[in-house]
Amino acid sequence: MRIALHNVVKRFKGFTALKGINLEIKDGELFTLLGPSGCGKTTTLRLIAGFYQTDGGDILFDDKIINHLPTAQRNIGIVFQNYALWPHMTVYENIAYGLKLKKMPGTEIKRKVDTSLDKVGLSGLQHRYPGQLSGGQQQRVALARALVLNPDVLLLDEPLSNLDAKVRMKVRAEIRQLQQELKITTVYVTHDQEEALTLSDRIAVMREGRIIQLGDPKSLYERPNNTFTANFIGTNNLLEAHVLKGNGDGKYTVQTAIGSFMGIANQPLSPGQKCTIAVRPENVQINSERQEANSFTGKIHFASYLGNILRYDIMTSAGILFKADIKYPWGCEVMAVGTEVKISFAEFVCLLINDRCTEEHNLTAVGGES
Amino acid sequence: MKASTARAGIDKRFSGNWENPILRWNGWRVLPIYIFLAVFVIVPIIKIALDAFTDTQGILTFKYVKSFFTDPFYLRALRNSMLLGLAVVVTTSILGFCSAYFLLRYEFAGKKLFSYLTIFPIIMPPLVGVMGFIFILGRAGTVNTILMDYFGFLRPLNFVYGWHGVLLVETLHLFPLITMNLLDSMGKIDASLEEAAESVGSVGLRKIKDITFPLSTPGYVTGALLVFMWAFADFATPLVVGVQDLLAAQAYLNIVQFVDRRLFQMGIVIGVFMISLSIIFLIIARRYLALKDYATLSYSPVEKKTLKGWGGFLVPFFFTVLLIMAFIPYLGVTLAAFGKAWAMTPFPVQYTLGYFTRIITETPKYIINTFMYCGLAVIICITVGVPIAWILTRTKMKSRGLLDALVTLILALPGTALGIAYIRAFNMPIFGISLTTLWIIMPLVLAVRRLPYTVRSTHSSLLVVHESLEEAARSVGASGWRVFYNITLPLIWKGILTGALFSFMTSIQESAATILLAIPGWETMTVGIFTFYTSGSMNESAALGFILIVVGGLSLYVINKLSGKKMGGFFG
Repeated sequence: MRIALHNVVKRFKGFTALKGINLEIKDGELFTLLGPSGCGKTTTLRLIAGFYQTDGGDILFDDKIINHLPTAQRNIGIVFQNYALWPHMTVYENIAYGLKLKKMPGTEIKRKVDTSLDKVGLSGLQHRYPGQLSGGQQQRVALARALVLNPDVLLLDEPLSNLDAKVRMKVRAEIRQLQQELKITTVYVTHDQEEALTLSDRIAVMREGRIIQLGDPKSLYERPNNTFTANFIGTNNLLEAHVLKGNGDGKYTVQTAIGSFMGIANQPLSPGQKCTIAVRPENVQINSERQEANSFTGKIHFASYLGNILRYDIMTSAGILFKADIKYPWGCEVMAVGTEVKISFAEFVCLLINDRCTEEHNLTAVGGES
Repeated sequence: MKASTARAGIDKRFSGNWENPILRWNGWRVLPIYIFLAVFVIVPIIKIALDAFTDTQGILTFKYVKSFFTDPFYLRALRNSMLLGLAVVVTTSILGFCSAYFLLRYEFAGKKLFSYLTIFPIIMPPLVGVMGFIFILGRAGTVNTILMDYFGFLRPLNFVYGWHGVLLVETLHLFPLITMNLLDSMGKIDASLEEAAESVGSVGLRKIKDITFPLSTPGYVTGALLVFMWAFADFATPLVVGVQDLLAAQAYLNIVQFVDRRLFQMGIVIGVFMISLSIIFLIIARRYLALKDYATLSYSPVEKKTLKGWGGFLVPFFFTVLLIMAFIPYLGVTLAAFGKAWAMTPFPVQYTLGYFTRIITETPKYIINTFMYCGLAVIICITVGVPIAWILTRTKMKSRGLLDALVTLILALPGTALGIAYIRAFNMPIFGISLTTLWIIMPLVLAVRRLPYTVRSTHSSLLVVHESLEEAARSVGASGWRVFYNITLPLIWKGILTGALFSFMTSIQESAATILLAIPGWETMTVGIFTFYTSGSMNESAALGFILIVVGGLSLYVINKLSGKKMGGFFG
């Protein structure tokens, strides 16, 4: 099942939650709506589910407009943030309820429920009540309940946010596996960028009721086309800059408060234009002997040891903090605060982002992949 | 989770509650509260139970119980009472469910007003209610007069006298109990539970039947049990409309006569039967609720739909008809309180303040006593109820379960049964005087009857005040009592006041226990209403009723202002 949203608008009392959403979700794809709270991602999901009605635009399943089709007739499966398991029914009854409504024979229901429980690894817990299950187990029951009806679309509304970190990782992998096995079109809502990166085929980054960037995890992480995405996904050093000159092939030299740098841009820039440079801490070297395109000096301001990496906050001459990661900190001594260091990074990891460009780009080529 | 187990561990190692100075309340400090409950709740119950099972020599006997259960007359009364209780539960459930569902799920014209007025019928003093119905729907009431004068009816229609009358009056009086309890528990259903149902294809009535209603049962069961108990134990309504074939009515008739020893004993057996029934109900309710823990992780209420078309007309129509029916007694009582020469006409032809002058100048004792007793009762309610709420929320005392159970039991105990129990328990002279001959018995029984409202209201506001607020105050150096006065009290006084007002409002309306315990010269207004009514002074009776209604209405207004719309919790 393909899902498409064409210029979808949703208004609530006093504010517009969605300001024209355009999406094409492919058949069998796991598509993630990512953004901070209040960005409209859950609203979008609830529109697809049919819990809300659109105030403008169309929602299409394959090529059929379903704006006014009630939830019960959309053949969707949904998992809520709080799982929404019916507390007065057992695990078995929860899963079987939808099948019973379809007037399926009892033996058939039993077979289906057993298979789906088996699939989520909960065989034997049929007769428990939701209150007697752990968070992870409830989550899986919710998933089984959503999948047992063979829905065309699976909708997941922050399904992992109420789980412990360890359980979350495990269930995350299970969801991805199950989804690929069933090849079911899935819309996944989350505010957790790491979750989005690991799970998704494609991600739409949302902010204030708009999609500001859409792409696969790798392109979003490596080539954000706006500062919001650059900041929201992973960690980035962001510095204001203006363009000095173009070096051809999408490369430019820019001036910042801590010196001039060479970097690459998604969109053409012209000399004098304002932009932001984005450099990920993991792409920065400290005291490297390699000759890189960009380098400057600073003093260690703060060191945080995270186990797999050692992150330094480095104070530059202009009073700007710059983050740099040591990737294999096992053999390293932690440098003392105040130590002078040389920082360097390559040209191709230094992204030049122009937010105004991006906005115009989004407005003209609405919804297209960047 | 972890923090609480660690804390429990600490509690065991250190005697006393060193963590929380106010918690040093346990032990002897709360003893007076337990003594109060023991003397005024447990002792009367045990005494009346002993009375039912011992003969005049104090020897164990089952002859009274046996004679009760072999007497076809009482068996018929028992069956009638049960049937009446069940019938009232059915009718109130239908009205209560519809009104609660409409109020919670839809937006429609006049909704605010309807939701405010829906609770009113329950504050109608029981006697006044049936009286009001008779003024309007009785044989010579407004409706029959109109039917005969203008529509050519030769004989009056019998709206109220008989079984159907009891059912009508009780239904219109008690349906708000179901409405409020359902509003409380149905309102707490997380929207996602119903949305999940829709996503698997469950819509409309099917969804209500499979999801909404089962999830509302915690509130519904409490409401239904209270309605049953109330209808089962009410003797005033059936007697006024001429039905005597009921257990409560028999209990009253048997207790107020002092001629026949056996009849008196039968009254006691009925009292014990009622108490046992309420204890059984309490256990059922507890079991039922304990089984089903419906707490959800998040909570967002189901969005209200705006009704259009037929629905937008029919729902307000439903409420209008229901409330007009339920407000008939208010109209009747008001007309009778002010109407002069009201006979053979639909409405009084002249109006007067004469009845009010009479009740104020000739029998001021009714009004004075009522306010004195109820004022005292409220003071007792606060003195005993606030500490109980505190123990329930802020301590880990082992007796908490018992305390909670006792408070809930009081809520279920019918006034008729408690009145009989008090008559039996406190007529033994202590220091030459027995408590039943002293007026103080009245405020005491009122305080006990209405204690649960103060406890519940205080309890729920204490739950909202997170303990960390108190801990923060202690961390900056406030001592135990200072924490209570400076932090806790300012945050919960509204809750205490609401509960106290509710206790007050319901105690001025108490009729069962007060009629049974009334001492000549020390009667309350509800006793006055009964006395006037049975002696034929309908208008004086109505005037007293009118005052009760006004006071009740005012209290309800203030409670509404204070507590918003969280009134459901009071009866649950």
